Order: sequence, then C-alpha cells, then structure tokens
Amino acid sequence: MTDLIVAILRSATPLVYVTMAGVIAQRAGIWHLGLEGVMIIGAAATVIGIVLTGSLGLALLAAVIFSVLASVLLWFAIEKLKANPIIAGLGLTGLGIGGTSLASQSIFGSQASVTAPFGLPRLGEAFGPFASLSILVAAMPFVVFGMWVLLRRTRFGLQLAASGEHPFAARSAGVDPSRMRLFALAFGGVLAAAGGAELATGSLQIFAQNMTAGRGFMAFAAVVFGASHPIGAALAAIFFSLVGALGIRAQLVFGDAVPHDLLLALPYLATIFGVWLSGRLRGGAAAAPASFGELRDY
Amino acid sequence: MNSNLVVVLRAAVFIALALALCGIIFEFAGYSAIAMFEAIVEGAFLRSGGLTQSLRWAVPLFITAVGVGLSFRSGFFNIGAQGQFYVGAIAATCAATWLNGAPAIVLVPLSFLAGMVGGALWALWPGLLRLRSGTDETITTLMGNFLATLLLIYVTTGPLKDPSGSGQQSSSRPLAAAYRISNSLGLSPTIIAIAIIVGVLMWLLVNRSAFGVVASLAGRNPVMVRWQGAKVWWLGLTSFLVAGGLAGLAGTIEVFGPNGRLVGGFLPAHGFTAILIALVANLSVGGTAIGALFFGGLASAALYLPVMAGLPSAAIDIINAAIALFITARSAHLDRLIGRVTGGAGRSAKPQ
Repeated sequence: MTDLIVAILRSATPLVYVTMAGVIAQRAGIWHLGLEGVMIIGAAATVIGIVLTGSLGLALLAAVIFSVLASVLLWFAIEKLKANPIIAGLGLTGLGIGGTSLASQSIFGSQASVTAPFGLPRLGEAFGPFASLSILVAAMPFVVFGMWVLLRRTRFGLQLAASGEHPFAARSAGVDPSRMRLFALAFGGVLAAAGGAELATGSLQIFAQNMTAGRGFMAFAAVVFGASHPIGAALAAIFFSLVGALGIRAQLVFGDAVPHDLLLALPYLATIFGVWLSGRLRGGAAAAPASFGELRDY
Repeated sequence: MNSNLVVVLRAAVFIALALALCGIIFEFAGYSAIAMFEAIVEGAFLRSGGLTQSLRWAVPLFITAVGVGLSFRSGFFNIGAQGQFYVGAIAATCAATWLNGAPAIVLVPLSFLAGMVGGALWALWPGLLRLRSGTDETITTLMGNFLATLLLIYVTTGPLKDPSGSGQQSSSRPLAAAYRISNSLGLSPTIIAIAIIVGVLMWLLVNRSAFGVVASLAGRNPVMVRWQGAKVWWLGLTSFLVAGGLAGLAGTIEVFGPNGRLVGGFLPAHGFTAILIALVANLSVGGTAIGALFFGGLASAALYLPVMAGLPSAAIDIINAAIALFITARSAHLDRLIGRVTGGAGRSAKPQ
C-alpha cells in the first residue's frame, strides 16, 4: 500500500504542477494546449542546465526563464496577433518538443537521452518510506492550497476570473484583461517549469526526447475535469495518476494476461471519461465552451 | 478575387514571421540558419528526385487535410486526424490479412473500404460524445490520437506481428507484391488518381452541394442554422465521418503504397501537419492542394536533412510548429495595410 502511494505521488506531482499552470490560464480565459511544450522545455532546461553548470539553482533558473519565455511567446501569438489559442498552443507544444530535441542534439551530438549527475533534493531518511521523493512532492499540497487562495480569495484572483469571463466588465473596472492574461501565462510558465523539473529530476535525473508523452494534454484534461477549480483539478490529476499506477500494478499481478499497451491506455480512457462526466454533470451541450474557447475582448 | 489575395498575403506574412522565429531558434541551438534553410529547399525541390518525394508526401497530407478542413468548416474542432489515420491503416491491414490469397481485384477494394470505415468509426465516437453529451471534441479526439498510437504499437507487436521480422521497427507481414498500389518510392498513377478523385469530390461537396453550403453556415452560426430548420446534428456527424474516412483512406494508401506493410509508429506528426495545411489553405480545397505540396516538400526535406552531415530532422518539426503558432493570426493592422496595398479589399474573409 505504501509503495502504491509513493508511486502515485511520484507520477502525480509533475502532473499537478502543470495542471495548476493550466488552471490559472483557463481562469484568464485561455485554453492552454501549450502546457506540454512548456513542461518539456522545463524538463530539458533542468537536466541540460545541471550537466552544463553543475548547479541545481542555475539549472532551475534556466528552466524558469525558458518556460516563461515560451509562455510569453504564446501570449504574444494569441493576444497580440489574435491567433486561435488551440492551434497556437499545439504549435507551442511542437516547438517545445522539437526545440528541446534539437538543443540536446546540438549540445551532446546525439539523440540519446541525457543523464544528470544529481537532481532535486530528496526528503531524506526522516520521512521513512517517502525518503526517495523530492521536496517538490512535499511542496505540492501547499502550492495547490496557495493557488486556491490566490484564485478564489484574493482581489487579484477575482480580477483574473473577470478577465476570462467578462473582459468588458473587467475593463470597465479598470483591469487590463490582456495584461492579466500575460501574468497568468507567465506564472503558469513557472509552475509548468516546476512540473517539468520534477518529471525529469524528481526520481531518475534523465531527459529523453518527447519524455512528457502527453502529460501536458492530460493536465489540460484535468483542468476541464476539475472545472478549472485548483483543488478539483489537482484531484483530477491525482485520479489520472492513480489509474495509471493501478494499471502498472495490474500488470505485475496478472502478468501477460492483459496486453501491456492496453494498460498504458488507461489514463487516456480515464481522461475521456472524466471530460465526458464533467460535461454531463454541468448540463450537457449547454455547458460546452462556446466557439473553441475563442478569446472575447468586447 | 481581392479577398483571396489578402488571405494569401496574410499567410505569407505570418509564415515569414514563423521562419524568422525558426531562424532564431536554429542560431540559438548552434546551427547556421541560412545553411539550414538552404538544405531544406534543396531537400524538398532541388536535389534529383526531390520533387517526386515532395509529391509522394503531399498526397496523403492532402487527403487527410481536406477531411480536416471539412470538419473545421462545420464548426467541429476535430484534431484527431492522426488517430483516424492509424486506425484506418490498422483496419485495412486486418482486412488484407484476413482476405490474404484472394485476387487483388477483390482484396484491394475491400481493404480500402475497411480502412475508410475504420477511420470513420474512430471519428464517430468523439462526434457522438460531442453531439449527444456536449463533451468537448478537442480533448476526446486528442486522447483518441494517443489511444490509436498505443493500438498501433499493440497490433504490430502482438496480433499482426511479422514473426520473421527483425530490426527495431515492429511491423505486420509484408503485403504480396500483387496487392501493392505503388512501389516503395510511393508515387504511382493509381495513387495520383485517388488524390485527384478525392479532391474533385470534396470540391463538389464543399462548394457545389447543399450539404457543403449549410455545413459552412453551421460552422459560423449554428444557432441561426438550427432556427432555419437544418439538422445540425446530421451535418456534424457527416463531417466527422467524412473527415475520419479520408484520414483512414490516407493511412490505407500508406500501407498499400510506399510501406507495403503496417509499420509501428509511422508518420507520427502527420495529423498535426494536416491540420496546419487545412488552416494555411483557409479551409478551401484548392488551397489545401497547394498547402499540401508546400508541407510535402518540408516532409521530403525532413528525410534529407539527417543525410546532410549533422543537420537534425527536428528542424522540420520546429518549422511546422512555428507556423502553427502564427498561422491563425489575424491582425487588424496588417489587414488594413494589405488592403491599402491591394486596393481596398480590407479585412474581408476571416479564417474560420
């Protein structure tokens, strides 16, 4: 049981951080399908930064800088150039996956995965069976709670939600929706960088091409499943990880009776089920977001 | 006429912006941007056989992209072309395996039918979820892509595995030569004929049929069309099925044409590129053909770059992605500028 909890925490933590990035963007009115790209940029910058500088602090700083830059690029495309957020987000994802593999190839001269000598600090012996988890795992509940306070209990959170729901009203109240969206995406960049860093250096300290493998999209689905409430979305992300961990467990128990690849499909099936359910619970077709989440500025 | 010119100029401006961004990334990663672009143009068009290769990649992209364009026109954000492409290819391979030994005149048409039905079925469930329960089709089709990828890996390493196969790529048993519709170069009169037939039929469907006109209206204003008494439900389902069927057809062509077998993990970014082509073309069928040639050229260059010492094929992914980032952009300032240059066409046709 304990090792199942450890496994769930390990796989859920990167997802939860990235989900928080999606939540804050969603509340500002942006469908953030670039999460995957920002996450893999964070993962690559952390590992490559550790290898090149030998310093975890510098590596994390690089991860945050590059992730925020990528997020600002997305903001520029959809807010200044009025690009479609979904297509632009998918573009950012492609840019992240292609750019990180180009970077690792140009720095290390091969497409093989890169291993860092050390990673994020671990919790240590005092935590018993949880000793091998990174400090970001322990920080995760506090970050989620902090997000809830920020989004639901502060003036800033209300202004952000207004910018997403009723930009016109927000503007009449003296809030610039465009600037709020910039802040939401940039802050989301920091969170997604943390998720990428945890994924790459939380347990194995490795960066491989395309290592996020759809986690960014799963985080986006968690945002929708959790109705863009920080705690709901975090629980949805943990649920997806639980399903994944149970799939791996089932494979250990049943051996080859169930094909390996079909078990890997479980989180995706859970995502589809979750999105379907949240659509049903919120009143069917009427609750489907209008016009592809296009930004309204009037 | 003028509004078409505006669309073309706008696409050109934003593609130039995307290429500039790529140049910055290439330079940042330590490659010469100029040399990279030269190598890409050479790989796509200039080297001997480059044009044939570009056309070979353009055909499946075109067939998938016209389907994607139709579902976008109808207002459904079906981004699952990749999954529909894979499932179509799997269904066609299953049919071919089951019918193995039958004469080609029986086996090939039935397999193509199976491929199209497979692709259409993979588009059907997100369509039904959307139309019945309001489940957002962006996420379901996206997840469908991941599921189809896993299914492809499963069938090529499990039920359809070629037991004699060695090497890194798992695959199904090769098709008998009699069933192939092209050699491994991937271009044959049959394949070109299929592309032309699809293009003409889709052009007629979109521009010359009541269905196409009403579907485009429904994409812009579903409420109005519903009030006029059209069955939006039927329009949506049909556009999902046609889009899926065409993606499945493209997958089947890859199996019966250039590959000659079902290969695990083939053409991983195909569906994404098809979406780009549909958007670059502003969802028009003729524009899609031109866009497919452009992106087919990039795909051909992607295979050529690793041959040139030290140039990574990820460069092409980056170019595609950068174009995606900007391609739906519509800047009012830019439109006004273009309008002044082209004589007052102004901001007319807007994408989607």
